Amino acid sequence: MKEILSSSRTGDSCIHVKHKSGLDIFIAKMNGFSGVEAVFAAKYGSVNTMFRNRGDKDYTVVPEGIAHFLEHKLFENEDCEVFELYSKTGATGNAATSFDRTAYYFSCSKNYQENLKILLDFVQKPFFTQESVDKELGIIGQEIQMTNDNPDWRVMFNMLKCMFHTHPVKIDIAGTQESIAKITPELLYKCYDSFYNLNNMVLSVAGNVKADEVLAICDEYLRPCEDKGLELVFPDEPDTIVKSDIREKEEVGASIFTLGWKCRPASGIDRLKKNIAAAMAGELLTDVSSDMYQRLLREGVINSTFVYEVFSGDGFFSVMLNGETEQPDYVRESVVNEVKRLISEGIPEKDFRRFQKGMYAGLVREMNDVENVANLMMSAYMDGVSPYDTIDLLTKLTPQDVHDFISNELSEDKLVLSVIERMDVQS
Amino acid sequence: MKYDRIEIGDNIGLTTIIDEKFKSSMLTVRFIIPLDKEKASDNTIGFSILSDANSQYKTIAELSEVLSELYGSSISSFSRKRGDLQVLGITASWLSNRYAIYGEDIQGGMLQIFSDCLFSPNASDGAFDEELFSIEQKELFDRIEAELNSKRAYAYSRAASIAFRDEPAGNYSYGTRQTAEAATAASTYAAYRHILETAVIEATYVSADPDPKVEEMLRKGFADVERQPRPVEYISKSPLKPQPETVSEEFDVRQCQMFMVMKTPFADPYALKLFSVILGETATSKLFRNVREKLSLCYYCSCSASFTKGALIIDSGVERRNIEKAKDEILAQLDEMCRGNITDEEINGSLRYIENALCQVGDTMASYSGWYFERLCEGEVITPQELFSRYSSVTRESLVEAAKSLKLDSVYLMLDKEEK
Repeated sequence: MKEILSSSRTGDSCIHVKHKSGLDIFIAKMNGFSGVEAVFAAKYGSVNTMFRNRGDKDYTVVPEGIAHFLEHKLFENEDCEVFELYSKTGATGNAATSFDRTAYYFSCSKNYQENLKILLDFVQKPFFTQESVDKELGIIGQEIQMTNDNPDWRVMFNMLKCMFHTHPVKIDIAGTQESIAKITPELLYKCYDSFYNLNNMVLSVAGNVKADEVLAICDEYLRPCEDKGLELVFPDEPDTIVKSDIREKEEVGASIFTLGWKCRPASGIDRLKKNIAAAMAGELLTDVSSDMYQRLLREGVINSTFVYEVFSGDGFFSVMLNGETEQPDYVRESVVNEVKRLISEGIPEKDFRRFQKGMYAGLVREMNDVENVANLMMSAYMDGVSPYDTIDLLTKLTPQDVHDFISNELSEDKLVLSVIERMDVQS
Repeated sequence: MKYDRIEIGDNIGLTTIIDEKFKSSMLTVRFIIPLDKEKASDNTIGFSILSDANSQYKTIAELSEVLSELYGSSISSFSRKRGDLQVLGITASWLSNRYAIYGEDIQGGMLQIFSDCLFSPNASDGAFDEELFSIEQKELFDRIEAELNSKRAYAYSRAASIAFRDEPAGNYSYGTRQTAEAATAASTYAAYRHILETAVIEATYVSADPDPKVEEMLRKGFADVERQPRPVEYISKSPLKPQPETVSEEFDVRQCQMFMVMKTPFADPYALKLFSVILGETATSKLFRNVREKLSLCYYCSCSASFTKGALIIDSGVERRNIEKAKDEILAQLDEMCRGNITDEEINGSLRYIENALCQVGDTMASYSGWYFERLCEGEVITPQELFSRYSSVTRESLVEAAKSLKLDSVYLMLDKEEK
């Protein structure tokens, strides 16, 4: 199956192919660009800790951090290191594991066909041994320590732990030193066989490419997969939060906070609509020209680091406000009052329109960057939508939609404040 | 792509890059001056105020509102260090008019805002607006304090301050808490005016849309400035310490940071860069393969070369008990290169890595802007292809010479408090 997807607003387009192997493929030829970005990704991240395939009697429960560990180990082939192969062709390759996906990617300006062959080949060729697992423990152990020293990381995970009772989104993506010590080659193969099935994966290629060439390589290199009926299990997660406040002292120069609402999760196009309404709510709450922002700025309570983030995925959805402050309780009180004001007074049409224009421009610009386009197509597949749905939905969004989102989702009883305080701050 | 560079004033250059694939435009004006630690805070605050407001939109709120009306256009300022120099600037970016839904003139609006911010700030009687000054002074205090939030960046700055002690490059680009406290609305305005008059200035406009109004706007703005530009030195090699110096500091951290700074008088920038790539800039480099992959000592161990300062900085995040082991392996890999143990695969792979990066110059507006600015700093505007041919001409002998020329100057260790 082959279809052309396009945006009538921007003129951008891409090809979507459902390959006979089971893989979804997106290709965007971008005229005038030299580079090529390719992403080969699996719907598999840190939240996938319990699963079974059709025919399995029992669920498999795996150690925290195994998706990330697997990502590291896939770079070692039986006979060579993947980076050595990229070195011969001149690509920059890497990978990233998040809560709900693992993406392997390369960026290059020459030999993209060779690089694509390397990417497709190594991701489909796992080779795990006890020796290589043991070797990785020290490397990932230091990666975990590095993120533990990152206050932005800690303030967010502390918040997630207070927000979610059971959902594995509260688990650190890389796991802990203790959890990764339980990983074995057998477990890695079990996870690989379950999640790295082409029916559960996507290939996204953007830039200076020809679709026919990409598809010819796919025909040659993709090994057809039987859909094994992967079943994911998430523990029941109540709507409530665990607790509303968490503070930790760290060796930081500036105290930081995250203020997050636990919202109801959604999926597919509903999640995308909710993401857009949530982003608009975030724009309003961090609007530099608003009275609240200006008051907090003049009082020296916040600075230009005050921003929002929409965080959503399989079974989780949150709107977060982040920044530096020495008065997090005052920020929380101000934000809660601002939410109440927006609910009672409604969303001013003028503010709505200017943020709508800004978000629209951001999307147009995003489609003017090779790396962004490859990631946009990959993310659209992961979220079960089309790459250009966001821009269409944004133009249909109304102030009432945003008001409804704020009224229904930004409840004070679902609000968590997480703070990393300087050592010398009195609690 | 069409490239053009003209002089629009005494030591004021305007580079224009027109590339029809872009959907937005970007205008950056950079001011290059010697880095003076006593004036760095004044300069930084002064330039920060420029992008907050102007004589037309007098507050942050007013300017922010009009920027969001113009499709989320942005205008911001920056203060960076380049060797012994301070590079200050103001940069704006906006959506091309052809994507305006309601036919607005985004380009015209942004050129006017840019002009007002740069040449007509919210100031009177020789001083910036007091409220804007207070906000930006507080921002700078916060920025100085927040540096410790990123342990690697903090350790990098400490390593630079030790390696380049008593040199301008040993200071922060934004000064210190003390110089920030001493700043006033008047001193920051005076600093801004002084920079307009004395800096070497480079403007870069990148867009799909040629627009003579960019040049007109800049010419008009600078016409009212009494220029007395002071030439700057882009290269200032740092002297080697008589004995290597090690400084260690304890923090409440889980991972230790090790920075090793080596110095070199080596005169070939292309050989030094290629050497650095082979040693530690890629996932097939000697440091990655040995310190990380073979010995499993760290998640990262990498290096970067500064030809401007004649320095190579190697850094790694390691456990305290592994610091000496990591240091020994780093020095062993350096020794390998001194002895000529560099394979053809390492050289060719590193050349391809450089070529890959060079070929993608032009895929983003920022890469164009940065590329031409760097070439001007180096005194010669060449194409990425021409630069690559210089890397390709580097011989193995030059790489060995580069390796042999490097001497350990200083080591900075950020240590945890748990083990003694």
